[in-house]
Amino acid sequence: MGLTAFINDKPYSVNTGETILKFVRRHLGHDFVPTLCDAPNLDPFGSCRVCSVDVALVENGNAKAQASCHTPVIPNSYIYTDSDRIKKLRRNIIELVLTDHPLDCLTCEVNNNCELQTVAARVGIRDVRYPAGKNHLDKKKDLSHPYMTSDFSKCINCFRCVRACDEVQGEFVLSMAGRGFNSHIVKSNENNFFESDCVSCGACAQACPTSAISDVFESKSIVADKKVRTVCTYCGVGCNLEVAVVNGKVKSIQAPFDAEVNQGHTCLKGRYAFSFYNHPDRIKTPMIRRNGELQPATWDEAYDFIAEKLTGILKQHGPDSIAGISSARCTNEENYIMQKFIRAVIGTNNIDCCARVCHSPTALGMQRSFGTGAATNSVEDIKYTDCIMVIGANPTDAHPVTGAKIKQFFMKGKPTIVIDPRRTELARYATYHLQLRPGTNVALLNMMMYYIITEKLEAKEFIENRTEGYSDFCNQILKVDIAEMEKITGVDRKLVREAAMAYAKAPNAMSFHGLGVTEHTQGSYTVMLISDLAMITGNIGRRGVGVNPLRGQNNVQGAADMGCQPHQGAGYMNAYDPEINKQYEAFYKRKIPFSKGLKIPEMFDAAIEGNLKAIWLMGEDVVQTDPNTNKVIAAMKNLDLLVLQEIFMTETCKYATVVLPGATFLEKSGTYTNAERRIQKVQKVVEPLEGTKADGQIIVEIMNRMGYAQAPYEAETMLEEISQIVPFFAGVKWNELGDNGKQWPVRKDGTDTEILHLENFPREDGKGKFHYFDFKESNELVKNGKSYPYIITTNRELEHYNSGTMTRRTGNVDILTEDVLMIHPDDAKKNLINEGDMVCVESPRGKVDIKARITDEVKPGILSTTFHFPEVLLNIITSDEHDSEAMCPEYKVVAVNIRKSKGSFKNKNVPVKA
Amino acid sequence: MSKNLSDLSGRKGLSKNLFEEYGKLATATGTPDPAALEKLREEFLVGKSSVYGAVSFYDFLKPENKGKKVYICNGSSCMTAGTQDELHSKLSTHYSADEIGEMCCLGRCHENVSFHIDGKNYSGNDIDDIEKIKSGNVLTKEKYNVGCIGTPILTSEYGSIKDFYKIFTDCLSKTPEALLTELKDSGLRGRGGAGFSMAFKLDSCRNVAGDTKFIVCNADEGDPGAYSDRYIMEQRPHTMLMGMMIAGYITGAQHGVVYIRGEYPESVNIVTEEISKLQNENLLGENIKGSGFTFNFKVIKAQGAYICGEETALLSSIEGQRPEVRVRPPYPTQQGLFNKPTVVNNVETLANLPFIMKKSGKAFAAIGTAKSSGTKLISLDGFFNKPGIYEVDMGTALSKVIHDLGGGFRTSVKAMHIGGPLGGLVPVSKIDSLTVDFDSFAREGFLLGHASVVCLPENYPLIGYIEHLFRFTAHESCGKCFPCRLGSTRGYEMVEKARTEDYKMDYTLMTDLLETLETGSLCALGGGLPLPIKNALKYFDQELSPFFNK
Repeated sequence: MGLTAFINDKPYSVNTGETILKFVRRHLGHDFVPTLCDAPNLDPFGSCRVCSVDVALVENGNAKAQASCHTPVIPNSYIYTDSDRIKKLRRNIIELVLTDHPLDCLTCEVNNNCELQTVAARVGIRDVRYPAGKNHLDKKKDLSHPYMTSDFSKCINCFRCVRACDEVQGEFVLSMAGRGFNSHIVKSNENNFFESDCVSCGACAQACPTSAISDVFESKSIVADKKVRTVCTYCGVGCNLEVAVVNGKVKSIQAPFDAEVNQGHTCLKGRYAFSFYNHPDRIKTPMIRRNGELQPATWDEAYDFIAEKLTGILKQHGPDSIAGISSARCTNEENYIMQKFIRAVIGTNNIDCCARVCHSPTALGMQRSFGTGAATNSVEDIKYTDCIMVIGANPTDAHPVTGAKIKQFFMKGKPTIVIDPRRTELARYATYHLQLRPGTNVALLNMMMYYIITEKLEAKEFIENRTEGYSDFCNQILKVDIAEMEKITGVDRKLVREAAMAYAKAPNAMSFHGLGVTEHTQGSYTVMLISDLAMITGNIGRRGVGVNPLRGQNNVQGAADMGCQPHQGAGYMNAYDPEINKQYEAFYKRKIPFSKGLKIPEMFDAAIEGNLKAIWLMGEDVVQTDPNTNKVIAAMKNLDLLVLQEIFMTETCKYATVVLPGATFLEKSGTYTNAERRIQKVQKVVEPLEGTKADGQIIVEIMNRMGYAQAPYEAETMLEEISQIVPFFAGVKWNELGDNGKQWPVRKDGTDTEILHLENFPREDGKGKFHYFDFKESNELVKNGKSYPYIITTNRELEHYNSGTMTRRTGNVDILTEDVLMIHPDDAKKNLINEGDMVCVESPRGKVDIKARITDEVKPGILSTTFHFPEVLLNIITSDEHDSEAMCPEYKVVAVNIRKSKGSFKNKNVPVKA
Repeated sequence: MSKNLSDLSGRKGLSKNLFEEYGKLATATGTPDPAALEKLREEFLVGKSSVYGAVSFYDFLKPENKGKKVYICNGSSCMTAGTQDELHSKLSTHYSADEIGEMCCLGRCHENVSFHIDGKNYSGNDIDDIEKIKSGNVLTKEKYNVGCIGTPILTSEYGSIKDFYKIFTDCLSKTPEALLTELKDSGLRGRGGAGFSMAFKLDSCRNVAGDTKFIVCNADEGDPGAYSDRYIMEQRPHTMLMGMMIAGYITGAQHGVVYIRGEYPESVNIVTEEISKLQNENLLGENIKGSGFTFNFKVIKAQGAYICGEETALLSSIEGQRPEVRVRPPYPTQQGLFNKPTVVNNVETLANLPFIMKKSGKAFAAIGTAKSSGTKLISLDGFFNKPGIYEVDMGTALSKVIHDLGGGFRTSVKAMHIGGPLGGLVPVSKIDSLTVDFDSFAREGFLLGHASVVCLPENYPLIGYIEHLFRFTAHESCGKCFPCRLGSTRGYEMVEKARTEDYKMDYTLMTDLLETLETGSLCALGGGLPLPIKNALKYFDQELSPFFNK
C-alpha cells in the first residue's frame, strides 16, 4: 500500500489528487456518503454541502468539516464520515431544503426515485422547525415542449441541470438568475422550454435529482419491468441507451453513465425519438402488388411470390440481372447475411449499401492511403489532442454527442479549424473558419499543404520512416498556384496559412470529416488529401491524432465491413480475385462469382437500360434520398421485381412489387459498429410488432426458400459465423462484447484496438502512401454554372434523421416542422424574397419549392437545405454527378437558379404527427 | 462557475470585457436593454441565460434597477447612526419612490447621511445642497481625519510619481527571486480579512507555468463600515498600483486588474487617472524602461454585489459570469481569471509592497508583532469624536486607537462591530483586552478582519442589529451553497418575526442554524455571519433572552 488515509479509523490506499468523496466511494461504495449536487458526469461543485465529512490530522484529533466532493484527500489524515456533528449538519441542511420544497412525495412523479427523498430519509428528518416563510412553491409547471418538462417548485438549486447544459452539452440554455434565496433556474431569457434555445438533449432531465426538470416519458422515475441496454439506431456515434420497458412497451430511455461512447449523454433523437417504433403507420403485413395496388399477403405467399420471380429472372437473365442494396441502419449480422444471400444464393456481386451515397470515398480513400478504410483513432482521443480540424461536417447537428465533445474542445481556446461553406455552430467557435466555396476542398487542402511545406513544418522523421511517395507529392504541391487556388476557394490565403501552421505546429492534431468531404466528384481525393495532411504532420499512430470520419448512419462502418459493396466481400477481401474467391466459396459452400458487380448508381442506369430486372432493397428509401429523384423513379419503374424490406410506407414503396415488414432496432438483436470501429451489442428490447420480422430473419427465410440451408437469424451464432470469415472480427464473441463492445481489429485472444497504425500501415510495404491531386471543377458547375448561377449544398438538422421516416413519426416533428432554404440576405434582396416566402429552386433536373430562411450562415451565391421531409423531395434537383472513384453522389454541389414561388404553397407542409 | 464561460470570456482578453460591457449597457436606464444583451452574448458566444443570469445578479444591473436616480446608503454605520430615515424623507420631496434605490455602504461611515446621485457620493451636510447637487455643480464637502501611531507606511506622503517609482525601477534591476525573498522576510499577511501569507500566494502563482497571468487587486471593499481601501485609492493610489506592478514582476504577470466597487465612483475615477499618469511617465506598457518587463492595467467598476469581495466570485464577476463562489482547488494561483494563474490581493496588502521593497522585508517585519507584521489601517465611524482613517503598528492597544486617535465616543456606545459584518461584535467591556493584530482578536473570539469599526449606541436594540446582519447576508448571499442561501433567509425571517410579532425563537434552532452556517457554508459570508451573532448572544444575553424560548 502506497499512500494511505483513514476512513473512520481504518486505513485505505489513496490515489494522488483524488477527492475525499472519490476516495471514500472507491473503497466503501457509491452511497457511503450522501450527496445532492454531485453527479457522475459533472465537475465537483460544492453547493449542497451534504457530502461534508470531518477531517482530522491525527486520530480523533481536532476535526474540520470539509465538503468531500471538492476537497482532496490529505495522506495520513483521518476522515470521519458520520460523526455526530456531521450527521447533525446534514440533517440541518436537509431541514432547510425542506422549508422550500413541497411535501407531496406520495403524489410526486419521482416518488421512490428521488435523491432528495433518499437523502432526507437517510439523515432522518423528523420535522421542519422553522416558521413558514418565503418559498417557491407557487412556481408553475412548464409543459410547453414535446419532451422536456419542468416544475421548479421542486427545484433544490443544486445546479446539476445548469452544469449538464454547460459541461456536457455546451449550450448554456440553463442558468441560475437572481441571487440568494431568489436565485432560480432560467431557460434562455426566462423563456419556457419550447421558446428557449434548448436542443432537447435531456442532459438536464437526467441530471436533476428531483422532478424539477423531467421529460414527458418520466424517464427518471419509472419503475420498469426491465431495463435493457442497447445501442442507438440513428447516427454513427453509437450511443448506449438504457431502455425502460413497462408492460411490453418502451416507456422511456436514459443514457448509462458507464457508456464509454456517450458517458450518460445522448441527443434528442437517441433519448426521445423512439415513438416511431409502434407508430400506427408501421407496416404490419407483407404486401404484394396486384393490379397496380399493394395488397396484404401472408409471409408464405410473399416468399413464394418472390422466390418464383427471382428464379424466373435468374433463369431468363442470369444472376447479374439481380441486385441487392443492403442497409447501414441494420445490424452487422443482417448486412452479412444480405451480402451472403446476394453472392451465394443469387450468385452476383451486385451488392451495395447506402455507404455508397455517404462514406464510400472515405473507405476507398483511407484504404489507399493507410490500408484501412476506417477511423484511425477514437472519440476518446479528443481528451488528448491539441488541435481539431473539422472539415465538411456539422457534428453538433448530425453527430450530436460527438459534436458536443468537439464543441467542448472548441470552447477551450486551443487551435481549432473548420472547413465548411456554412458558418456552422462549430465554425462560430473555431479559431479559423475557412469558408470555402462548395466543391473546392481539394484546392484548399493543397493550399494548406503548400504552406506546411514552405514553412518547413513537415514531420520529416515520420515522412521518412513511415510513408512513401512524398518527394513526388512535395514537388507537385510546390507547383500549386496559390493565387489561383485562393480565387477558386474564396478563402484568404493568409487565413489558410495560419490554419495550416496551427495544425502542423500542434503537438497532436486530429481531423474529423463528414459528408462535406465525400459527397463530391473529388470526394475520394479529398479523403486522401486529409490523410496526406495527417501524414505530412506526423499525426498518425498515437493518442490524440488521426483521420476520423464521422459516420452518418449507426452501422455504415459495419455494412462495409460485412462486404456490402461489389468489389469487396465480408472483411474487405477482394471480391474480384479468383484466388481469394476460393476462400469465400469454401466458407459459403456455394459457387461465388468474381465478376464485377454494380454500384448503386450503376444499378439505376442498368435498370433504366433494361439490363437489371430485380432489386432487393433492405430498409432504404432510395427515391427520397438518392440524387436525381426522377431518374431513380424511372429506374424503379423499369424493374420486373422490386422487393422492399421496410418499417414504413416510404416514397420508394410506391414502386415496390413486394413489401416485407421489417423490425426496428428495438425489436431485434445483433451488433452495430460505430464510427470508431466499436462493435457494440444491440439487444432486443421488445418483441417485433405482430406481423413484422427482424430483417435478418426475412433474408434467412428467403435463403432457405431458395434452397440454401441457413440457420435462423440469431445474433450470437451469426456473429460466430462472421468471426470465422472476417479477419478483424477473429476474436469477437457475443458473450465477450460486454457493455461497451470492442474496437476492431479484435485479435483471436479477444484484445481489441483503440488506435490504428501504431507502427505500420496494413499496406504491402507497411507504409502510408502520399497522393497528389489537382483541383478539378465539378462537371455540374462547368456544364450548368452559367445558366444556374447559385450553388445549393445539402445539410442536416439536429431534430431529424435523413429522410425523416422515423423522426417525423416522433415529437421531433413538433420541434422542427419543415425543410427550409438558407439564403444570404443579399441574394434574398436581389430576388425580392422575404423570410418565410416559398422559393422555387430549379436545377436542370427539376424544381422544388422551399420556404426561405434568410441568414448570413451562408455566403452570397450559396444556398443550403435539408431533405428530411418528403413534401419537398429535394433530390428532384440534385445531379447524377458522383465521386470519380467511389461513385458517391455529389449532393453538396448542385447548380440552381432561384425565384420567388408563384401560387400558394404556404400551407403545403403539414407535418406528420405522431 | 463555468470553465467554458471563463474561456469564452477570456478570448477577448481584457480589451473588451464582458462584465464592463454590461455596465456600459446599463448606464442609460439602469439595466441593459435585452436586444443589446443579445448582441453582446452572440459576440461572446455565450448563452442568453449566461448574460441574463449574470445581469440579474447585480444590484445596479438587474431589471429592478431600471429608472433609479438616487441611492440611499443602507450600510451598518448609517443605520446605527440613525440618519437615513430623515434623509429618505428629504430626498422623497425631490424623487419619486420608484427613483430611489439603496446602496450598501458608500464608505462615508465617518459622517453618515450618505447617498449617491449620478455617479457621485454625498454625505454629512451635503443633503442641504440637494438642489445644487441635482443641477450637477456641487462637490461633496466630505472630510475625515487621517492619523498614525507608529510607522506611517501607508499614510505618509510619497511625493511625485517620478520620485516614488524609483522604488519600482530599482526592483526591475533585481531578480524576481530576490524580491520574493524580501516579501517572505516581511511576513506580510493579507489585509482583506483572511490574513493569508502574501509571499506564499505569489510564489505559488510564480511556480505555475503560463504566458498569461494576472494580478487582481480586490478593491471591492464591501464591508459596511470600512473605507480604508477607499482612502488608499483616493489619497495614496500609487502605493497600491506599484504594489501590483511589483507583484506582476515577481510572478511574471503582465496584466493588472483593479476591481473597484461601484459604490466608490470617486475611487474609480482617481485610479483611472493615476494609471494614465503612469502611462505618460512610460512606467507602463511593453518593456518598461527597457527592463523586458511588460505590465498594463485595467480598471473594472463593479455593479453592486458584496460577494464579489470573495476572491473567486470576484474573478467570475470580471469574466461576466454570475459571481458565485468557486470551489477550491483549483486555487486562483493555479486557475484564476480566464482559467489563468492569478493572484488576488486586497488594496491595503498590495500598498505595503513599496515600503517593503524600499526598506527591506526585515525592516517591515520589525514593525508590529511576530505573527502580524507591519501596520494596519483602521476605519472609525461617526460615533467617534474624531472619526477617520488611522494607521497603527500591529499590536497597538485597541484602547489607544479608540481614545487617543478616535478621541473616544461622542455618545454612549455598548458595542463595536469590528471587521465588517462578518467580524466580531465587541462589547465595550472587552476593549482593554484587545490589541490590533490578527491573533489577539482571534484569541478573544473576535476577528480583526479589515479593521473597520461600526458602533452600536446604547439605545440601539441588538435584536434589530441581528436582524440587519441576517438581512444583509440574505441579500448578499450568492445563492450557491444551501446553508447560506436558505439559512440566511430563514434566520432573517425568524428574527424579524420575533421582533415584530408575538413569537419566540427556539434557541436550539437558532444555535443549530448558526452551526449549520458556520460549518457548512462554502465561503466566509455564510460561514462568518454566526460570529457576531454568537458574540451578541454571549455578551448581551439579557437583552436578547426575551426573544427566545430556552
